Amino acid sequence: MARTRVVRRGEGPTLVITLHEPEVTLLRELARDVREVVVAPADSGPVSKRLFPSAYLDPTEETAEAAWQDHSHGELVSSRLAALDALTATLDAAQRKKRDLFELTLDADGQAQWLGVLNDARLIIGTAAGITEDDDHTNRAFDPRDERSRQFVMYAWLTELQADLVDVLLGGLPD
Amino acid sequence: MSGTGTETIEIPDTVEELFGEEETTTDAPWIVIVWNDPINLMSYVVLVFQKLFGYSREKATHLMLQVHYDGKAVVANGTRDQCEADVTRLHAYGLWATMQKDR
Repeated sequence: MARTRVVRRGEGPTLVITLHEPEVTLLRELARDVREVVVAPADSGPVSKRLFPSAYLDPTEETAEAAWQDHSHGELVSSRLAALDALTATLDAAQRKKRDLFELTLDADGQAQWLGVLNDARLIIGTAAGITEDDDHTNRAFDPRDERSRQFVMYAWLTELQADLVDVLLGGLPD
Repeated sequence: MSGTGTETIEIPDTVEELFGEEETTTDAPWIVIVWNDPINLMSYVVLVFQKLFGYSREKATHLMLQVHYDGKAVVANGTRDQCEADVTRLHAYGLWATMQKDR
């Protein structure tokens, strides 16, 4: 059976997302995973560096970089946590439509917050799993016993959901 | 530097006189660069450029393609403070952005 579009325009500026129950559960778990990474102390590992990159590449701007980190890191952490809270709240408010299908409505803020969380989740999983420009791993056979294989499937699912959301949002912006 | 110690020492009036012209480039505009990465979707990058900078679809798409094919693109410029704010906003959206002096 073909699936209806996951993201569609709702009333006024709202968007409606339709998800199966296991997807709602998966998003809750992902939000928890993203939160753990966001609140962890920044380190020099690839995931932390990707989520919180430097502003200056020039080593002579070390002082400016430290000052920028001082005031922006907390800001970036709080906006990410706010987005995670908002995503969880919309999942809580999701309405069961039939059997295992849920619908949730996003206002303009909610749309930006969902975009942010989906992207952070993809950055975290994609960086940890070693996604590269030439190999996004989507053409490999799924092996449920292999943790990396599970990550790739999750990554592909997130990519599809985000692409759907982005397409609808681009449709609302001027050419 | 050697000297007899009899010359008059001229004290510069301005910082520019003291350090020479090169240092005044700290006032020169800064640029914000977005770098290519294998994860961000091309459509997502266009959306972020339109939302953050108010660019047209055409300009946002052009910049996204430049990032994709050339590895990077200059997406904004301004004072150091403005560029730091832009970099922070781009990082909030998960884009890999850095800033540097425009030379």
